Amino acid sequence: MVFSSILFLCVFMPVVFCLYYICPGRLRNFFLLVASLLFYAWGEPKYICIMLFSTAFNYIDGILIEYSKKHDKEFMKKAMLVLSVIGNVAILCFFKYTDFIIKSLNDLWGTHFSLLGIALPIGISFYTFQAMSYTIDVYRGRVSAQHNFFDFAMYVCMFPQLIAGPIVRYEQVEGQIKERKITSGNVALGLQRFIIGLGKKVLLANQIGSLWDKIYTMDVSEISVLSAWLGAFAYTFQIYFDFSGYSDMAIGMGQMLGFKFPENFNYPYMSKSITEFWRRWHITLGQWFKEYVYIPLGGNRKGLEVQIVNLFIVWSLTGLWHGAGWNFLIWGLYYFVILLMEKLFLHKLLDKLPGIFSHIYSIFIIVVGWVIFACDNFDKLGIYIKALFGMGVSVVKGTDIYLCYTNAILFIILIFASTNFPVKVISFVKKKFMLKLKGFMLAFCKNIGFWCCAVFYLIILALSIALIIGETYNPFLYFRF
Amino acid sequence: MRISYKIYIIIIIALLGAAGGITLFSEQKSYSPNENRYLEKYPKLSAESVMSGDFQDDMINALNDQFFKRDNFMQVSTELKKMLGYKDIGGVYLAKDGYYIEKKDEAQISQERYMQNLRYVQYFLSKQKGSSFTILVPSGCIVLKDKMPEYASSYDAEAMYKAAETVLSSSKLIDIRDSLKEAEKSEQIYYRTDHHWTLRGAYEAYCEYCKEMGIDKRKYDEFNVKEVCDNFYGSLYSKVLDREASPDKIYAPFCDSLANIKVTDDGKITDGIYNEKELKMKDKYSYFFGGNCGRVDISTGVENGLKLLVIKDSFANCFVPFLIDSYSEITMIDLRYYSGSITELAESGTFDHTLILYEMSNFAGDTNLYKLTEK
Repeated sequence: MVFSSILFLCVFMPVVFCLYYICPGRLRNFFLLVASLLFYAWGEPKYICIMLFSTAFNYIDGILIEYSKKHDKEFMKKAMLVLSVIGNVAILCFFKYTDFIIKSLNDLWGTHFSLLGIALPIGISFYTFQAMSYTIDVYRGRVSAQHNFFDFAMYVCMFPQLIAGPIVRYEQVEGQIKERKITSGNVALGLQRFIIGLGKKVLLANQIGSLWDKIYTMDVSEISVLSAWLGAFAYTFQIYFDFSGYSDMAIGMGQMLGFKFPENFNYPYMSKSITEFWRRWHITLGQWFKEYVYIPLGGNRKGLEVQIVNLFIVWSLTGLWHGAGWNFLIWGLYYFVILLMEKLFLHKLLDKLPGIFSHIYSIFIIVVGWVIFACDNFDKLGIYIKALFGMGVSVVKGTDIYLCYTNAILFIILIFASTNFPVKVISFVKKKFMLKLKGFMLAFCKNIGFWCCAVFYLIILALSIALIIGETYNPFLYFRF
Repeated sequence: MRISYKIYIIIIIALLGAAGGITLFSEQKSYSPNENRYLEKYPKLSAESVMSGDFQDDMINALNDQFFKRDNFMQVSTELKKMLGYKDIGGVYLAKDGYYIEKKDEAQISQERYMQNLRYVQYFLSKQKGSSFTILVPSGCIVLKDKMPEYASSYDAEAMYKAAETVLSSSKLIDIRDSLKEAEKSEQIYYRTDHHWTLRGAYEAYCEYCKEMGIDKRKYDEFNVKEVCDNFYGSLYSKVLDREASPDKIYAPFCDSLANIKVTDDGKITDGIYNEKELKMKDKYSYFFGGNCGRVDISTGVENGLKLLVIKDSFANCFVPFLIDSYSEITMIDLRYYSGSITELAESGTFDHTLILYEMSNFAGDTNLYKLTEK
């Protein structure tokens, strides 16, 4: 079930949240587990077994690691960790990469192994990574093993972040699983956050996404330099607003349930270098790889050569995590090369240049990156990259001008919405008007402000529903993750 | 403040829940007159359909279609898109002077299929003994160029007519583009809210047809044209659902021979070539011949012995009424719905004239023209 559907918004969400608040505290985790399983089963009725298997596997593994620690069985402790890592990676790889590997072998050696035709279970990359963070941290002693199976299952299967992140590490919610306080203020803020996320997804990402779709499916003979760039920027905005919209919805719902999930995006397109971009984009994934791959491999503590190898490994994996395809690997390695260059010399250079240049440089790299990411076959990628750089196509065509002026307002909104400008304006207004107020007047103005915002959010919600109903284009972009 | 929070939370959740509840528990609608299409209904629950995911997909679609006050939400969605400066919604251009024009650009036209269809027609016409004519009506976006949004694209009509000219060597291709463009300066050639041409547009084609046939054309006024309806919201309106759209008027000619006319639809006798009932329905263009029908036979009572075969789409429905005084028998075949053998019909019918009349983009996309080559 996707969040941006009538079923979720008008049936699942009201029912589940009402029952959740009525539910006595002790039963809430169990109720949340049942709701999450229903949520997942709606989209993947068969693959729910895999999620449950993965949950049970990691649950038992965690307990065994704890057991071996208690009884000082060093070998068993290590063996259990290795088993957990291999088990999780094997499940993930089997469902995600088997066909990709077979197809690559066939292409490479001309063999004819038949593909297995396995459909990728939605969210498998997210929940596998969450579960792994648990067993590894039990091993490292960062968290203690969870003995209540339902509590653990609730953590792995929790619906808000199940299908599109953020990746919540067990460590980050360990305490909240046991006990969490639900305040009306937090629920209201969470609800607002959810609506903002929904608006980002439906009102912004879906709208600009249909432009990208149009340009991506254009015939080679129709494409021009301008339309290629227009399409690339359209996709750049689509993926940001779609993905961060999903994260906002997840974090918002988490807050409504009493959790505090980690932030996943921090205005990535305001970055002035690619290093900075990756600190602001899909933060929880970057941290996961840093925490569980890069640092264990030695990070930057073992000299430059080892560090380069480590970076290479991390960025290959990051690329492949986003999908089983060569373009994703290339996309990962593209960032490896650029990050390495920034580390070695580019960063120093960028620091010396005026901010606007480093900004343009970053946007350029990011946009070209998204084109690699989005084109899942090499022919298309070749055509598109050539078009971007004006090889063999005309600079501008009549249709481009049409596409430009009919999407101009949307692009302006997207540019503003991807910076922290709106937030700055709001806090400026707050400061200006609220600072001098005291006592009753302050409370009164706060209330007025709150209700003004409330109306705004209600409008966003209504508009989102209108577009969900009226639109045939409502894609789920993370089916490859 | 806490009370404000609580009220706010309750309002939002209650609104969402109420919308969902009303949608789920109110009576299902099966048809949307406004959108002119059948709505998805809630699927039946079965273990099989759930496991395959069909149930879930159908349910999502059904909820969208059955949603509480769907029409109003759809209008809001259109308003929002207009505010964003969109010039096309749902594949329809928001054109000048209140026109809606269907978007037909290269991406929507398969040149391959078009050429194949031309070859089917050529094969068929090459076997006809009488003389044959082809009219490919240009789409609205070709004739109404000036009304289109700036830089909006449409297919390359010039190239397509040239191709037709080359392939259709056994028939006279009547190119009505210029006369439609000329008439467009003073008359309404296409409906503003529907993809069809108006009676006036069909009349211009009739004039060109007469010129080719060498018969005297009659003046528009001589056809005793009457307004039959003034609140027609056509198919393009249904796609855009713009509150600001103004309705079209439908006109129809009432020639003298209508009194003696006998019409059969697929063998069943009907009241005539016009169907009053359709004017009360949504798709009022179906007034002409009651919509599309596999085979229509018209015996006009005119005693000149001339027989005409028309192979056509819906654009012919308001064109054929002009020909009623010129033929004693007219047979109209819509290949989409005709299940008999067209080859047999053409051989046994001894038609003096054969006319192929399609709208250009319909013709290019039609998947039934192969029937022309079947025994």
